Amino acid sequence: MTNASAGGNTAVPRRGGNPRKSAGQGHAGKVRKKFRLFSIRAGMDLPFLFLILVLVVIGLIMMFSASYAYASYNFGDSYYFIKRQAVFAVLGVFLMVSISYFDYHHLHKFAIPILMFSFALLVLVRFLPAVAGVHRWITLGPLGQFQPSEIAKFAIVLIFSHLISLNFSRMGTFRYGVLPYLLILGATAALLLVEPHVSATVIVIILGGVMLFIGGVKLRWFGAAFGLAGAAMVYLVSFSGKLSYANTRILGWLDPFSNASKELIDKTWQTRQSLYAIGSGGLLGLGLGQSRQKYLYLPEPQNDFVFAIVCEELGFIGALIIIILFAMLIWRGINISLRAKDKFGMLLGIGLVLQVGLQVILNIAVVTNTIPNTGISLPFFSYGGTSLVLLLAEMGVVLSISRTSSVEKT
Amino acid sequence: MAKGTTVRMWHRTVFILIFLVTVGFGAVVFSLVRLQLIDGSSLQMRATEQQLKDTTLTAKRGTIYDCNKKELAKSATVWDVVLEPAFITDENRETIAGGLSKILGISRDEIMTRSRKKTYYDKIAGKVESDVRDAILKFKTENNITNGIRLVENYRRYYPYGSFAATVLGFTGTDSQGLAGVEAEYDSQLTGTAGRLVTAKNAVGTDMNFQYEQEVPAQDGDSLVLTIDEVVQHYVEKYLAEGITNNKVQNRGCAIVMNVKTGAILGMAVKGDFDPNSPFVVADAQQAEAISKITDAAQKKAAQQAALQEQWRNKCISDTYYPGSVFKIVTGSAAMEENLVNENTVFNCPGSLTIDGTTVNDWKRGGFGHLTFAQGICNSSNVVFMQVGQKLGAKLFYKYFGAFGFTGKTGIDLPGESRSLFYTAEQMKPIDLAVASFGQTNKITPIQMITAACAVANGGYLVQPHVVSEILDASGNIVKTASTSPKRQVISNDTSRRMSAILQQDATTGTAKSGYIAGYRVAGKTGTSEKTEIKTSQEYIASYCGFAPADDPQVAMLVFYDEPHGPAGYYGSPVAGPTFLGAMTQILPYLGVEPKYSEEELEKLDGKAPDMVGQTPAQAKNTASKAGLSVKIYGSGEKVISQVPEPGKSVPKNGTVVLFTDQKSVGQTVTVPDLTRLSLSEANQKAVDAGVNISITGAALTGSAAVSTAQDVAAGTKVAPGTVVTVTFSEDNKVR
Repeated sequence: MTNASAGGNTAVPRRGGNPRKSAGQGHAGKVRKKFRLFSIRAGMDLPFLFLILVLVVIGLIMMFSASYAYASYNFGDSYYFIKRQAVFAVLGVFLMVSISYFDYHHLHKFAIPILMFSFALLVLVRFLPAVAGVHRWITLGPLGQFQPSEIAKFAIVLIFSHLISLNFSRMGTFRYGVLPYLLILGATAALLLVEPHVSATVIVIILGGVMLFIGGVKLRWFGAAFGLAGAAMVYLVSFSGKLSYANTRILGWLDPFSNASKELIDKTWQTRQSLYAIGSGGLLGLGLGQSRQKYLYLPEPQNDFVFAIVCEELGFIGALIIIILFAMLIWRGINISLRAKDKFGMLLGIGLVLQVGLQVILNIAVVTNTIPNTGISLPFFSYGGTSLVLLLAEMGVVLSISRTSSVEKT
Repeated sequence: MAKGTTVRMWHRTVFILIFLVTVGFGAVVFSLVRLQLIDGSSLQMRATEQQLKDTTLTAKRGTIYDCNKKELAKSATVWDVVLEPAFITDENRETIAGGLSKILGISRDEIMTRSRKKTYYDKIAGKVESDVRDAILKFKTENNITNGIRLVENYRRYYPYGSFAATVLGFTGTDSQGLAGVEAEYDSQLTGTAGRLVTAKNAVGTDMNFQYEQEVPAQDGDSLVLTIDEVVQHYVEKYLAEGITNNKVQNRGCAIVMNVKTGAILGMAVKGDFDPNSPFVVADAQQAEAISKITDAAQKKAAQQAALQEQWRNKCISDTYYPGSVFKIVTGSAAMEENLVNENTVFNCPGSLTIDGTTVNDWKRGGFGHLTFAQGICNSSNVVFMQVGQKLGAKLFYKYFGAFGFTGKTGIDLPGESRSLFYTAEQMKPIDLAVASFGQTNKITPIQMITAACAVANGGYLVQPHVVSEILDASGNIVKTASTSPKRQVISNDTSRRMSAILQQDATTGTAKSGYIAGYRVAGKTGTSEKTEIKTSQEYIASYCGFAPADDPQVAMLVFYDEPHGPAGYYGSPVAGPTFLGAMTQILPYLGVEPKYSEEELEKLDGKAPDMVGQTPAQAKNTASKAGLSVKIYGSGEKVISQVPEPGKSVPKNGTVVLFTDQKSVGQTVTVPDLTRLSLSEANQKAVDAGVNISITGAALTGSAAVSTAQDVAAGTKVAPGTVVTVTFSEDNKVR
């Protein structure tokens, strides 16, 4: 066991981080293992799989309920969204299970190509026609739309896991512990910001930051980062109109029921309807399928605001159960990661699980108007086929990690 | 310990995990607690407010029936035309606007504009009839329009008999709210309770396509059964209208017929009134024309308003007037009740009486000399009654004034009853008391007067006048029945009986005999009151108040003409008497009051024409003479083929039956002569000369110097020979 750890360390002096070479110079067992495409020696973590399947099923049901009226009015078919989502869900689960058999160490090889691919897409999307005034989506014909930011998040998690695990012992230095990440993260964030896609930018930065934090970057760098962010904030608030108090987004956030101006009413409409829906749910909810706010009040209830309909139909109890399921998923995911065989798996697992956790928290925070409205989807619930497939694929990676993890399997 | 994870990584991960759970999940769960558990109900209320569409379901207004369940006012279904812009598409907008514009007469552009409104409900036409509805339905089918135009049921008020009983019924406004008469008084009962249909609507305003519907059905209004009898009311209105015309009444007139024992109003009319189907139209043609000639808009509007207010005003309860000599019934009863006078108490009547320096004259110059109390009433002597007033004194006078119900409203169930204006015992000076005894000091309402008269008639009980006898719910069950129990006893049964007898005498031989009806034992009193509040000219109110039969009173009637300017003058007897006579002659038999004829009456009573058809002229002559009739033969045939009056029809004593013996003679006509302003013998002669029969009603039957005042077939009319013309006689028109 300690040998494997040493093996990891032996890779550190090498620059460039070739996982094959690092593995090659390590333990003999590792060498033998690396030629196996699949690692089915151990079973995957069933509680984690179970939680994912439960969330996928609940997510499908609730997305169906939420989209029912919208689909009926806009597409003349109440099943419009659920039919598509269900196909992707099946596909996604199949992909997830398949990936769980795949040795995640192969991802070392893909870290840089995927990052490049991510950059390429982020640049490409800038040149594609804007949808609703922003350059976030790439249309994939019959597959629907796809957000490059989803790839970007995965790319960041992967490249950071890859680099940190390779350069673990030098994480204290600026050159190896800070600079490359800063460049990668900075470039990704900048590209996302010009889309513009603030929420994705925030998630990517938080994800990257957390991974660096766990990866061992010295705390003073975080101090510096927070300091810089604070200064930028002060600058923006005082000198730029972007985040100024007059910004309707902020005003709408502070008082979502304000009738001060037509613009404000239009801007806060979604939030307002979301709050009505959540409030209507009360403790026990109106019952599955009984939402009234989904009848064109809440715009696009199948997307980012699906949780509002969940709250309306299932009430506080139902919403809490779903939040607990997510919390359990994250807890289990982190547990798996902490007991992963190596730092790459550990970091990769934590990154992927945290990504889900962050999205869940930020989404519900938006839906409940805890933070200003910004486009963040709810994992497993919000409509979006490619996004669901990608998410399930990522969960497949976590399951793959769980196969090598020493977590107690039930 | 996992190979891959160092202790520091572990710690830092745990830190992140704790941070995520406490701050992240903590914050959102806290938000949910706040939104769902703390602010939940208020948010839900706001959500419900926007989600629910509340449609009012109109309740059907109750029907108003007369006492025999004839419908006097009813609500019929009509439709509101509602545009539903949310459903109107650009494809059918033009069609809808064009079609509706043609059917409803609303401009096309207006409909186009309104069809673009961001709403789901826009009423463009209210209360359209079924033909318009059918046209719209047809238009919808023809153009295949399923949504966008809706017809919502509503109700419109109909008064099938037009202006009949308008004053009692009142009318309703555009929202079917009662504005006058029983429609206003019983508005809440008639209205019922509007229902609600709560449906869920989506954000566009159309119904959500899932089951959420809550209906609180409309509760139709209660119906009213009036005490008004359609037949009685008909006669009251007929003779009142006639009196208005004959007497050139300037300020309208009114009449009330009341059941003396229950206070039920059987008929109540004011002329000129209005048509409740279109109450906002000035009904009087002359008045309407005068108003239309006013050029100044403001003045015109004011005049219009004044005219409308006037025609809506229920004179029977809203006008106060000096009752004049009719009030002597009250003063006399009080004095008899207190044993201060009896029928035979003798008064000296020199023609005038001076009290505190003021001289009050009797209507007859020179006076009547010595009169008994009964004669004082029959001659309507003011001097006698001033002395009766003195005997009573202010205190007792005021006590009875109050007891007979003159100090407060009667509480009749109609809106707009006025308060009377009166002197209290303390305020009354001797001259006020003296004048008050014959009804020229205190101003009262007609309804108070007839209610007091009923108390005199019915054994002394003050009853509650009312026009609604029963309230029925929508399914016809009786919800409420009007109380007919008297409020109190004012005078004794004995006083009541004796006063009735005096009044019967008055209506038979006294000043009130213009109301005499053979066989029906009418008790009556006339009144002529000076409108002393008018200083510029001499204006009078002529009234007649009576009841019958005097020995078992059933029904009372008060007739009241404000400012008569006709040929009969302004005295109560010739002006108001004939109206009482005309109406009661029809009403009493209709109500089943049995006639009892005295010997004298029988002698003068009309007989029935015997059947002479088929007889030879000689046989017929014989038949007629046996019946005390003469015959006049037209034609040269051998047998009578028809006769006028027809067999069994009424023919006056000593009248002539015209017999026709061939077809040629049957078509012959004679011209009705003018039989008014004649004595009995003159009228008879003129009728015989013209070849018509004359039937006498009114004062002439009791002999003396009566003058004919009216005839039922107008002068100049061509009629068959022998036709019976009824001529009304009154005493000379100097009688108060």
